[in-house]
Amino acid sequence: MTVAFAFLAGMTLVSAFGVVVSRNVVHSALFMSGSFLGVSGFFVMLNAPALAAFQVLIYVGAVTVVILFGIMFTQRPQARRFRTIINHQFWAGFLVAIGVGVFLAYLLAVEDWGQTSAGNGARDVAAFGKDLLGVSPGSEIFALLFEVASVLLLVAVVAAIVVSRRKTGEGVDRGVE
Amino acid sequence: MTTVGQQLIVAAIPALPALVFAVLVLFGRLLKENAQYVAILGVTVSLVFSAFSLYYVASNDGTPIEFSVPWIDLGAGGTFSMGIYIDSLAAVMLVVVCFVSLMIQLYSGAFMEGDSRFAWYYAILNLFTASMLGLVVAPNFIELYVFWELVGLCSYLLVGHWYEKPSARDAAQKAFIVTRVGDAALFIGIIMFWRATGTTAFDEISQAAQAGFIGGSALTAAIVLVFIGAVGKSAQFPLHVWLPDAMEGPTPVSALIHAATMVAAGVYLVARTYDIFVQSETAMLTVAYVGGFTALMAATMALVKKDIKRVIAYSTVSQLGYMMLGLGIGQYTAGFFHLYNHAFFKALLFLCAGSVIYAMNTYSLPEMGGLRRRMPITFWAMVLAGLSLSGIFPFAGFWSKDAIVASTYDEHYYVLFGMALLTVFLTAFYIFRAIFMAFTGEPRTQAAREAVESPGIMTGPMILLAFLSIVSGWVGIPSGFGVPIKDYFADFVTPSKFASDTLGLEAHAFSFQLAIISVAVGLAGIGLAYFLYVPKPERAAQLARRLAPIHTFLDKGWYFDALYGLVFVQGAKALARGIRGFDRRALGGLVGGVGRGAMGTGGFLQRFQTGGVQNYALFILFSVLLIGILVGALAGAQWTLLVVALIAVTTVAAFAVGARL
Amino acid sequence: MPPIVQQIIDALTATPPLAGYLVVGAIMFAIGTWGALIRRNAVVVFMCVELMINAVNLTLVAFGDFLPGEKGLGASYAVLVIAIAAAEIAVGLAIVLAVFRSRRTVNIDEVNTMRG
Repeated sequence: MTVAFAFLAGMTLVSAFGVVVSRNVVHSALFMSGSFLGVSGFFVMLNAPALAAFQVLIYVGAVTVVILFGIMFTQRPQARRFRTIINHQFWAGFLVAIGVGVFLAYLLAVEDWGQTSAGNGARDVAAFGKDLLGVSPGSEIFALLFEVASVLLLVAVVAAIVVSRRKTGEGVDRGVE
Repeated sequence: MTTVGQQLIVAAIPALPALVFAVLVLFGRLLKENAQYVAILGVTVSLVFSAFSLYYVASNDGTPIEFSVPWIDLGAGGTFSMGIYIDSLAAVMLVVVCFVSLMIQLYSGAFMEGDSRFAWYYAILNLFTASMLGLVVAPNFIELYVFWELVGLCSYLLVGHWYEKPSARDAAQKAFIVTRVGDAALFIGIIMFWRATGTTAFDEISQAAQAGFIGGSALTAAIVLVFIGAVGKSAQFPLHVWLPDAMEGPTPVSALIHAATMVAAGVYLVARTYDIFVQSETAMLTVAYVGGFTALMAATMALVKKDIKRVIAYSTVSQLGYMMLGLGIGQYTAGFFHLYNHAFFKALLFLCAGSVIYAMNTYSLPEMGGLRRRMPITFWAMVLAGLSLSGIFPFAGFWSKDAIVASTYDEHYYVLFGMALLTVFLTAFYIFRAIFMAFTGEPRTQAAREAVESPGIMTGPMILLAFLSIVSGWVGIPSGFGVPIKDYFADFVTPSKFASDTLGLEAHAFSFQLAIISVAVGLAGIGLAYFLYVPKPERAAQLARRLAPIHTFLDKGWYFDALYGLVFVQGAKALARGIRGFDRRALGGLVGGVGRGAMGTGGFLQRFQTGGVQNYALFILFSVLLIGILVGALAGAQWTLLVVALIAVTTVAAFAVGARL
Repeated sequence: MPPIVQQIIDALTATPPLAGYLVVGAIMFAIGTWGALIRRNAVVVFMCVELMINAVNLTLVAFGDFLPGEKGLGASYAVLVIAIAAAEIAVGLAIVLAVFRSRRTVNIDEVNTMRG
C-alpha cells in the first residue's frame, strides 16, 4: 500500500508541476489529466471506487476535452522561451504558494483528528449510491443537495451558452486560423 | 417700614427712569425732539420720590427703609435677593443723583439740539440714571454689581455717542476696558466674601467679619479687591487713565457721569461697605494713600492741559482722591460731604465748559479769550464754581475740603496733610488758570470774538447749580464755627455705631488756624494764576518754555498712557500675533497635513490597483496567509473566525456601497 | 522469511496514515496556487484551478475514509464538488471565449482596463 501511495503521490505531484511549467499548452492539458488519474488512484485506495470511476469519467474524460476545445479555439503558437509563459509575479507567487502549502500541511498534519482508522468509506457502489441520494441513515441532507446540484448544472449550461453566444450579425466563426 | 404704597414709591425711584428708557428706545423715532420732555417728566417724578424718601428717613431718625424679594434661590447654596435699602447715606445720594440728572437733561435739550440720535441719547441717559439709582439703593453686593456693570455700559454708550469719531470710539473702549479691570477685582472680592461668609448683603458680611468668618489677611485682601473696583470706577491711580479720554463724549454726559454720579459710585461703594473697611487697618490706609496720591498727581496733570474739559476731568480725579482720602482716614461724614458738594460745583463747571463749547465750537483754551464780556452768566457761574472748588470761604467747597484737610492734620497723618495742602494750591491754580485763559484778556480767535451767551434752558440750570455751589455746604457748618446753624449733615450722615467704635476717633473742634491756612493757600494759588495769565499772558508761556521737560512730563499724564499702551496694548497685540501664527502654522498645518496625508495615502494605495486579476489574487492570498498565520496560530480558532467574518463583512459592505445597492 | 524482510514487507504493505494524504493534498493545492498566479494563459490558469479543486476533493475523501464519525460521507461530498467544478469550467471557458472574441488574446496581463 505504501508503494502504491508513493507511486501515486509522485505521479500526481509531478504532473501538477508539469501543468505549471510546460511551455506548450496542450502539454499542460495532458499533464493535468495525468494528475487527475493519480487522484483517481488515491480514491481507490480510500475505499471509494465509484468515486474513482466518476473522477476518471468526468475529469479525465469530459473536463480535459473541454479544456482542449478551449485551447483549440484560442490557439496561439507554442512559446519558445519559458519567460513568455509566465508573468512578473513568478517569485512572489512562488513564495505565497510555498507559504500556503506549508501552512496547510502543517495545520493538517499536526492537528489531532481523534481516533482515525482507515476503512470507513463506502466500498460498495450500492452503499455509495444510497449515501449520495440521501437514503441511508445519516445522509438525509444529500437528497436536497443532489437536487440543488442538478439545478446548478442546468443554470451553468444555460449561462455558458448565453455568455459565449455570438451577437447577431457578427459573422460565422472562421474556426481555427 | 412700610406700606405697599410707600414701597412702591421707593421702588419707583429707579424704576421710572428705566421705564422712560424703554419707552424712548421703542418710540424714540416717533418722538424725536419731544423725547426730552418724557425724560424730564420721569426724572422729576423720581426726584420728588427721592425727596420723599429723604424726608421719611430724616423724620424717622435715620432708620433705613428696607425691603427685598428673593431672586435666585440656590437651595443649599443660599439665596440672592433683590431689594431696596435706603439709609441716610443713600437718601442723600438719591436726591443728589436725581437732581443733577434733571439739570443735565434740561441742559441737554439745547446742547444736543439737532443731534441725529437725540432720542437714543436721552434713552441711555435715563438708563444710566436708573442704574445709578439702583446702585445706590442696593442692599447687597450682587445687586450692586448688576447696577455697577449697567452704569459702566451706559458710560461706554454715552462716551461713544458720537461714534463717527474714531477718537470717541477709542475713548469709549478705553473707559470700558479700564473700568473692567476694576470690575473684575470687585467681583473676585465679592466671591471671596461670599465664600467665606455665605452671604452678599453688606450688613451680614460686616457681622460675619466681626464674628470671625473672614479675618486677617483674607479680609484685607477681599476688601482691597473691592476697593480696586472703586478705584476703577472712580478713576483713581492707577486706573485713572480713562477719565480724561472720556471727555470725547458730549459735555452734559461728562457733567452727569464723570463729575457727579458714576465716578462717585466708587466713593459710594467705600462708604457703603464702611463697616467692613474699618475692620482692616491696612485697607483703610490703602484707601487714604491712594486717594491722597491721586489727588496730588491729577492736580499736577491738570496744570498744563490746553483742553478745557480735560482740565476739569483731571480735577474730578483729584477731588475724588480727596474723598477717598477722607474716607480712608476715618472721616466718613467729611468724605461724603465732599462728594455731595462736589457733585454740584463740578457739574456746574462742566456745564459752563459746555456752554463755552456750544458758543465757540472748540475745546481749546488757547483759542478762547475775552469771553467775559460776551458770556457774562457763564463767566460768573464758572468763577463761583471755581471758588467753591478751591475751597474759599464761605463757598460750599470750603466746608467739606477744610474738614478733610483739617482732619488729616488732627489725626496725625502729616504726609497726607502736606499732600492735601499742596493739592489745594494746585487746584486753585489750575482752575483759575482755565478761567483766566478763557474769559480774560483779548479774544484770540475770530470765534471768540463772535461768541454769544447760551440759551436760557442752558443757563437756567447753571444758575441754579451756581446757587447750590455756594449754599450746599451750609448744611454742614460745624458747630465750632460759632454760627448758630446746626450741622445737619453731620447729624444725618454718620457712620454706624460699630464703625465709629472701631475707629475710635475723637471729634475735634473746628480749628480756625487750619481753616485760615487752607484758605490762604487757595488764595495764593488764585493769585499765582492771575499773575501768570492776566497782566501779561506771555509770562505763562515763558515759564512753560523754561520748565519744558517738566511741562511735557505733566502734559503726557506722567507717561501713564504710554506705559500702559506699551505693556498692555502692545503686549496684547503681540500675544494676538503669536496666536495667529500658531493658528495658521500649527493648526492650519495640521489640518492641511491631514488632507495631504489622506491624498498621499490614496496615491500610495493607487499603485496596488493594477487592474490585473492575478495581482489581486496574489494580494488576497498573501493577506489570507498572513491572517491565518497571525491570528490562527497565535490566537486560536475563534479569533480567526471572528477576524475573517469581520473582513468578509467589510468587503461586502464596501462592495454594496460601491455598487450603490 | 527473515524478520527484516518481513519488516520491509510489513512496511511496504502498511496503510498510509491520514497525514500522508493530507500533505499530498496540501502540496497539490500549493502547486495549483502557484500556477494560477504565474501563468499568462487564461486556460492554463483554469487548469491550475482544477488542480486545486482536486486537491480539496482528495482531502475530503481522505477525511471521509479515516474519521469514523463521518459515516463515510466524504466521498458523497466529493461528488457534489465535482459537479460544481464542472459547472464552473463550463461557464469559465465561455467567458474566456467571449473575451478572446473581443480582444483576440487570452493573455491575462492585457486584460487590465480596471487599472487605477
